[in-house]
Amino acid sequence: MKLKEGFILRTVAGQTVALPSEGVTNLDMMITLNDTGKFLWEKLTVDAEKADLVEALLAEYDVDRERAEKSVDTFIARLKELDFLA
Amino acid sequence: MEHDYLIAGLRVRMDSFGRTLSQAEPYLTETVGQADITITSNPQSLKDRQPHLSLDDCEYLCTGGSFYRQLLDFDGMLLHSSAVVMDGYAYLFSAPCGTGKSTHTNMWRAAFGEAVVMLNDDKPALRKEDDCWYAYGTPWSGKTDQNINMRVPIGGICVLSRGEINEIEPYYGAKAIFSLLDQTVRPKMANVRTRLLELLDDLMLSVPMWKLRCTPTKEAALISQAAMSKEAIKRFGGKQS
Repeated sequence: MKLKEGFILRTVAGQTVALPSEGVTNLDMMITLNDTGKFLWEKLTVDAEKADLVEALLAEYDVDRERAEKSVDTFIARLKELDFLA
Repeated sequence: MEHDYLIAGLRVRMDSFGRTLSQAEPYLTETVGQADITITSNPQSLKDRQPHLSLDDCEYLCTGGSFYRQLLDFDGMLLHSSAVVMDGYAYLFSAPCGTGKSTHTNMWRAAFGEAVVMLNDDKPALRKEDDCWYAYGTPWSGKTDQNINMRVPIGGICVLSRGEINEIEPYYGAKAIFSLLDQTVRPKMANVRTRLLELLDDLMLSVPMWKLRCTPTKEAALISQAAMSKEAIKRFGGKQS
């Protein structure tokens, strides 16, 4: 599992935003990311499985496994919904 | 006929007609050298897609679109807003069409009279120059020809919505970013899109950002003016000349 190519990830006034770098100018295609979201986004610029993402979260943040899994599931579902995954 | 204009501090070369030509007249300058921005428009092509528009309107929309897209190359951007000037600062009220931007700025004029000047009723140009953000009047000012050829430091930007009461508060974060991106030209090309986000980042960190819920009354103008001018003076200093 991996993000498609061609996104802009940028901080705007303290808020991280991600959007396709070209093409559609629809704002529905722009998402804002919190710290965890940004962390997972960066992990997904290279191929990673759900288990890798959960382990990475557990190593980086003070969360229990259940919450980490839930975060990853929610995040992946959102990326799939937007068709952001390769 | 092709003319040169000075718009938002830039030399703009444009061959236009109708309303565009007449509204651009106060911005005319002598034609010399190279232009910063050359505007080419194809109003007929827009009219073919949007037959309900007049060719004059199409020309106006095409030339404005061309100008504001190229403005991004000069540390500038469009904010769809009604911009007024008071005590040397520009205050911009942005919202989707039909929300009541112009109604609100008209209330400023009703409340403060001659002290308030309309800079651009619909599409001011915003530019960062010498570490300061300025708003400019431009020939593109919406249904009205209410614009003046002037540069004014921005004292505040306010996203406006209709409400039952009048309430103003600082506005940052994801929602503020969406609100502003919703009311500007969103470029299709990657490098320009990144440029817009860089400019927006700088703008939001430099200029006080507000969110106003308001009724179409003078009271709303009194409330927004009080909050916005107080913050502008606090951040940028007293009355500008």
